[in-house]
Amino acid sequence: MLSRTADNLYWLARYVERAEYLARILEATQRLASVPIPIAGGTNEWESAVATAGCENAFFEVYEEANEETVTEFLAFSPDNPSSIRSCFEVARTNARAVRTALTVEMWDAINGTWLELKRYGNGPTSREEFSRFLRWVQESSLLFDGSAYRTMLRSDSYWFTRLGVFLERADNTARILDVKYHLLLPEAEHVGGPLDYFQWAAILRSVSALTSYHWVYRESVKPWLVADLLILKEEMPRSLANCYENIVTNLDKMAGSYGRQGPAQRLARGVRTRLQNSRMDEIFQRGLHEFIQEFIADNNRIGGIITQQYLA
Amino acid sequence: MRMHVSHDTVYRYETPPSSVIQTLRLTPRNHSGQYVVSWLISISADCRLDAQDDAFGNLIHTFTAEGPIDELIVHVEGEVETEDNAGVVAGAIERFPPALFLRDTPLTQTDAAIVEFSERYRSSGANTLVMLHEMLGGLNREIVFDTNPTHTATTAAEAFALKRGVCQDLTHVFISAARHLGVPARYISGYFHRSDGVNDQEAGHAWAEAFVPSLGWVGFDATNGICTTDAHLRVAAGLDYLSAAPVRGARSGGAGENLSVRIQIDQAMQQSQE
Repeated sequence: MLSRTADNLYWLARYVERAEYLARILEATQRLASVPIPIAGGTNEWESAVATAGCENAFFEVYEEANEETVTEFLAFSPDNPSSIRSCFEVARTNARAVRTALTVEMWDAINGTWLELKRYGNGPTSREEFSRFLRWVQESSLLFDGSAYRTMLRSDSYWFTRLGVFLERADNTARILDVKYHLLLPEAEHVGGPLDYFQWAAILRSVSALTSYHWVYRESVKPWLVADLLILKEEMPRSLANCYENIVTNLDKMAGSYGRQGPAQRLARGVRTRLQNSRMDEIFQRGLHEFIQEFIADNNRIGGIITQQYLA
Repeated sequence: MRMHVSHDTVYRYETPPSSVIQTLRLTPRNHSGQYVVSWLISISADCRLDAQDDAFGNLIHTFTAEGPIDELIVHVEGEVETEDNAGVVAGAIERFPPALFLRDTPLTQTDAAIVEFSERYRSSGANTLVMLHEMLGGLNREIVFDTNPTHTATTAAEAFALKRGVCQDLTHVFISAARHLGVPARYISGYFHRSDGVNDQEAGHAWAEAFVPSLGWVGFDATNGICTTDAHLRVAAGLDYLSAAPVRGARSGGAGENLSVRIQIDQAMQQSQE
């Protein structure tokens, strides 16, 4: 397989996953922003949405204020933002077209159909209701693409590269949510709680579809340190950091098995997984949740770089 | 090295017991030099296998099998990727401060002979690592590997007096001597891939880990006279054999127990490292 093909497959999957993630945080922000102001206090949810998307600098170059209108435009529809939902789908489709023969018909239909339908939304929806429908549609498109890959692709290196793209991006996304909201997740003693917090914790869980799972796992009301535990260390929770790394390691391992050789990507990814498996939440709080997440994001980026070096360049 | 392990513990009873209860410390965990690719435990009797952590952070499984049982097989199989880190064990689960592993147990109590032996190496005490290496070599020369005279309940002092023993005894003596010198040391049970091509083994392996201030925990294999390498697969840690033993159990009723162990350890596949 050509490195270029692998590269296209990897980024195709990453961009689709990123589009879904942006839709998820926009949805969560919409929900939080609709909480009455006396309860919500003075925080600007739209600003933290931009921070969670990791494009604060680019945003404030173009806009002066983060509010519903500007953030919606920038994160969802702006052609100037290389990480807007629109840009993600466009780049994904370009990547898909370049490796059309490596995709199954279903995958191509899913991504091409998404791209065609995107045009229907023009420069943005006219109402909040329509925007909500749009966000749902983005998530469904990602689901359709991911499901098509899962159901139709031959289990070979092509498939493993798409999985790597999905899970590296997902790990980065979950870590970013935690990074922006970490101050809300600190244990009780260090934390000044308010009525807003419950909405915030629930919103964090909702943004990764984990609210129901939370109640299944812990069987109690939403506690911030348990939210952190679920999203960082619980391997059985899809979108948790531990789960993403279980998948990254498994797919890298399959690749190593089929190529008959392995390298730094395998070793580093195993190292990160081992650290997640051997950590406990109280130790992480002791050493600093913020530092832990920062370190994780750095490791995740490093592994992305090493995968590129080892396979894609 | 990618190691493939297959380990059967077979119990046969002349008079079947009505029930058997066991605690298994047979599942390795990941640390920076070892990664478990796959691992499974299967028991020949119908029973529930409950997983939990013990105090040292080992993964343990417990089960109760209702009888009558005339044969019980505990089968463990898995693949592990190991790396040679010159014996240094980093990133493992540590539940206790190292000083806890200065604690004596009945199996590792020193006697005059072990004290005398360990004092020979105190002079090089300025550098803990050098001291431990010299002691490792000394111990390896002092005690002859012999499966006959000792059994699972032999203490460090008894084995040292016999000058004979298996990996368990050498490890106990090493731990006992290291603790006497003020170095925290612990017992590790696991598997060892032999480089001489003998893949079928009759017992698992055991070695010690000692705490070296500048490095952390370092594995010392007294039986082979070396620090641990990528041929060592670390499974459980404890204060001595009893707290790290692969299988501990009890049965009610029954008689005439016959135990046999078959372990096969080979290299799963060749992979070139970049």
